[in-house]
Amino acid sequence: MDRRTLLKGGVAAAGLAALPSVPAQAQSAPDKLRFGYAITMSGPLGPGAESTVVSQYKLWHKRVNDAGGITLKKFNKKVPVDMVSYDDQGKPDELIKLTERLIQQDKVDILLSPYATHMNLASAPIANKYQYPVIYSTATTTKSYDLAKKFPFAFWQIVQPVEATQPLTEYLADLKKEGKIKGTVGIVHPTVEYGVEMHEAFVNNAKKAGLNVVVSKSYPFGAADLQPVVREVMAANPDAFVCMSYPPDTFMLTEQSKIVGFNPQFMYVAIGGVFPSYRGKFGNDVNGILAYGGQDTSVKGYAEYDKAHRAMHNRPSEAGALSAYSAVEVVQQAIERVGEVDRTKIRDEIGKGKFQTIWGELHYTDQRCANPWAVGQWQGGEMVGVFPKDKSGAKPVQFPKPKWS
Amino acid sequence: MLVARGTGVVLFEVFLNGLLLGGMYGLIALGLNIQYGVARILNLAYGEFFVAGAFTAFFTIMLWQYNPLLSLFISMPIAFAANWLIYQVLMIPLIKRAPDQDALDADVVLVTFGLFFVLQGLALVYWSGDLRGYTFMSSPVHILGATIAMNRLLAFLGACLIAAIIFYVLRFTRIGAALRAITIDPVAASLMGIDVRRYSALAFATGGALAAASGMLVSTFISFSATTGVVYTLKALIVVIMAGVGRVTGTLAAGLLLGVVESLGGYLIDPALTIAINFALFMLILLLRPTGLFTRA
Repeated sequence: MDRRTLLKGGVAAAGLAALPSVPAQAQSAPDKLRFGYAITMSGPLGPGAESTVVSQYKLWHKRVNDAGGITLKKFNKKVPVDMVSYDDQGKPDELIKLTERLIQQDKVDILLSPYATHMNLASAPIANKYQYPVIYSTATTTKSYDLAKKFPFAFWQIVQPVEATQPLTEYLADLKKEGKIKGTVGIVHPTVEYGVEMHEAFVNNAKKAGLNVVVSKSYPFGAADLQPVVREVMAANPDAFVCMSYPPDTFMLTEQSKIVGFNPQFMYVAIGGVFPSYRGKFGNDVNGILAYGGQDTSVKGYAEYDKAHRAMHNRPSEAGALSAYSAVEVVQQAIERVGEVDRTKIRDEIGKGKFQTIWGELHYTDQRCANPWAVGQWQGGEMVGVFPKDKSGAKPVQFPKPKWS
Repeated sequence: MLVARGTGVVLFEVFLNGLLLGGMYGLIALGLNIQYGVARILNLAYGEFFVAGAFTAFFTIMLWQYNPLLSLFISMPIAFAANWLIYQVLMIPLIKRAPDQDALDADVVLVTFGLFFVLQGLALVYWSGDLRGYTFMSSPVHILGATIAMNRLLAFLGACLIAAIIFYVLRFTRIGAALRAITIDPVAASLMGIDVRRYSALAFATGGALAAASGMLVSTFISFSATTGVVYTLKALIVVIMAGVGRVTGTLAAGLLLGVVESLGGYLIDPALTIAINFALFMLILLLRPTGLFTRA
C-alpha cells in the first residue's frame, strides 16, 4: 500500500468519523420556509376567496410565526414562515402562470391551494408536475374520485358532490317514510361547474332515495334578480327547497324567498350559507336553514383559533373557512413529522397520517379527506355540523324550518 | 295554503320585476352618462364610487345603526368632491394636451383604468374582500295580486326621481342650457361664452355623486364587496351605449327596456338565458341604431 492511498483512506475515515457529530454541516437548516399561493382577490369570486381562504392563510401565517415557526426536527430548529401571494383575478390562465411563477421564480417550499372548484382543477396539474403536495380546500367535483391516480400529489379536503348531497336525500327519504313530507323537491343552481355538479349529484341521489324532483331551474351566475326563479319553485309547492348556490345568489335566493313568502319546510343553500355575514343579514331567520359544510366548535384548539380570528379579522370565522385553515394545519404537522422539506415524504405523510385540527381529526383515503363535514345547520343562531351523522360533534337536524319572521 | 295563481298575475309580476330591475339598470347608468355625455370622460373607475356608496350605507346601518338613507348625506358630497378633484387634477392635463376627442378618449380610458385599480386596491385594504349585505325595507309590497320587494321599489323610485330632477335641470335652467350646449358641441359652446371646463367639472362631479347614490340604493337588496364595482361599470356602460351618449333621460328608458326584456325573456324562455337575452338585445340595438336608441339622427 503506497502512502497516497493510505492518506486518502485516512482522510476519508476521519471525515466519516466526524459526520454524525455535525449533521447540520452536511445540509444546513433553512433560515425560513417559504409558502406561496395564487388566488382570486378581485372579481365576483373575490369575496368568497377572502372569507374562506385568504383570511385563513393570513391568520395561520401570523399564528405560526408568533409561535416561532415550524419545527424541523432534522435540524432541531424552529423556522419562521414567509408567505408570497398573487391575485389571479379569477382567470384560470392567470392562475396557471402564477403557479409556475411561485414554483420556478419564487422557489416556494410549499404551495397552498387557490379558491373555487374550477380554479383548483386548473392549478392541480402544474403543482403535480413539479411534485408539490397540495391540499385543495375548496374543490368539489365528481372528478376527484378519479384524480387521485392522475395527480398523486393532490389531496381533496372538502366533501365531494355525492357525499355532500347523499345525507340530504337520505334524510328527506326518512321523513317521507315517516309520513312527515310527501317527498317533493325543488332545486335551483347557477350555471357554473360547482352548481352543475352539485345539482347532478343531488338529482341522482334523490332518484335512488325515491324522492320526486318536481321543479329544477338554473340561472346565470351573477343574476341581478332571482324572484322569477323563486316563484317557479314556489308554484310547484315542494317540501324541500335546495339551492346549489354561490355566495351572491345564496343571499338573494334567501331574501327573495322571504319577500314572496315562500316557506319550505326544508331549505338548503350551498356556498355562503355558513358565512357570518349571512346571519348578519338575516338574523334569526337563518335558523333551520341547512348549508354546505359544517363544524364542531367544541374541538380542541377551536376557542383559541376563534379568538385570534376575531382579533385579526374583526369578525367570527365561518365553517367553510375551517377547511382551508385545517388544510394548512395538516401540511404543517406533516412537515414537522417528516422533519425537513422533502415534498415526497410530506406527501406520503399526509396520505397515511392522522391529524388533529380545528376542523376535527382528519385523515385521507385515496387522497380524499375521509371524514369532512358535509352539511351544517343554523340552530339557535349558531352554525353546527349535522352530517355525517356519525361524526363526532354532529347535532341532530331540526325540522321543520321555522317560517320567516 | 298555496293558492294557484293565474297566468295573468304571474306575467304581471314578472313584468313588474322587470321594471324594477330596469329601474336599477337605469339608476346605475345615469351618473355614467352625465360623465360621458357632458364631460366627455369615459370613467372606468365609476363603479368604485358605486361601491363607496354601498359601503357607506352598510356602515351607517350595521356599525352606527342609523337609517342607511342618511348615508347619502355623507357619500354624495364626498363622491362629488372626489370626482371634481379627479376632473381638475387628472383629466384637465389630458384635455389640454389631447389634439382631438379620439386621442383624449384613449388617454382617459388608460388613466381611469389605472384609477380603478388604485381605488379598488384601497377598498380591499380598508374594507377587505368580504361579501357585505344588510336588511333594509325587505318587505313585500302587493300590487293587484303581484308581489314586489319594497327595497327594489325604493331604488326604482329613486331612479325616477333622479331622472326627473336631471330632466328638469337640463331643460329648464340656465346651467342645464349650458350643459346641453356642451353636450352638442363643446367648441361652439365655449365660443358662446360658456365656461366649458367649469361646467364639465360640475357634470363629472355630479355623475360621481349619482354613482354613490345608486350604490346606496342598490345595496339594500344586492350583496356586494370591495371588488364588485367593475361589474356595475360594465352594466352601466351597456345601458349608456344603448340609450345614446349624452341622452340622460333616455338612459332610464333604456334601462327599463333592458330589465323588462330580461325578466320576460327569462320567464318565457329560461332563466338560465337572462344574460344571453340581455346581450342579444344589446347587439340588436348596436346593429340597428349604432348611436343609441334616443339620439336624433
